[in-house]
Amino acid sequence: MPATALSPLTALLKDPGGYLEGTDLQITLPLTRALLNEVLAARPAHPPVKELYLDPEENNRFRVHLAANAPVLGTVSRRITLVPGPAVTFPAQPWLTFSIVDGLKFLDKPLINLLQGQVEARLPSGIVINSKFIRIHLPALMTYLGYQQLVPLLHSLRVSSEANRLLLHVHLRADSTLTA
Amino acid sequence: MHPVLRHLLDTDFADLKGSKISGQIALTDELINLGLHDLLGQLTKAAAPASDSPAPASAPKPTGPALPDPKLLLQKLQVAHLKYRTEAGRTILEIEAGV
Repeated sequence: MPATALSPLTALLKDPGGYLEGTDLQITLPLTRALLNEVLAARPAHPPVKELYLDPEENNRFRVHLAANAPVLGTVSRRITLVPGPAVTFPAQPWLTFSIVDGLKFLDKPLINLLQGQVEARLPSGIVINSKFIRIHLPALMTYLGYQQLVPLLHSLRVSSEANRLLLHVHLRADSTLTA
Repeated sequence: MHPVLRHLLDTDFADLKGSKISGQIALTDELINLGLHDLLGQLTKAAAPASDSPAPASAPKPTGPALPDPKLLLQKLQVAHLKYRTEAGRTILEIEAGV
């Protein structure tokens, strides 16, 4: 054993794929409306966005309640309905997509521009908002957050919605072909 | 304490009901050995004889609310399958559990 051996946790974070090779886990994590909105309420101060909360519904769709101060328009409130897209799979399909199926109006371009501007000012590239969808490049976001070593472990991630809760379906896998 | 953790504690983790995990966790021999090395270091440090120098001031006690007993959290876990085995170069824990 070398005198300067890493702590197990440091080693894991440095090379999770190598130290966990052979790991294969399916995780389903339901997140209730109350918990999701606690998370949103704990977000950093975000002056243009005055209200933001989620309302998961059945039939795989959820609503985002949003109130923001938009230029010219003043305070704008919208209830936007989103439908989660296909699973993220690494490395073939890195985009987490939510289609906007209801709630935005024809003249909402200033609101969309405001949201996109806030995203660009605070988050890394790879997050796209337009009138039809919200798209997140998950590996880029994880790298920005400092979790780039975990990206190869993410075999798939899917989001679905049912009444009062969102469900995260995560498949983690560590094998030598991914981490070599 | 982070407000989300506070909420989870206040609601007795009810918001995570229905969580499931299944599959296997594999730990390489190297990781196990790093863990043993770390454990040995901690035990050796704890057993070191006290010197003649004055004892350092005790660390300030945390002021936040105490975390719940881990046993109480584990009681919420329903384990359907848990099996330990080894194979060349690694230790495997097969698990199927839910909250």
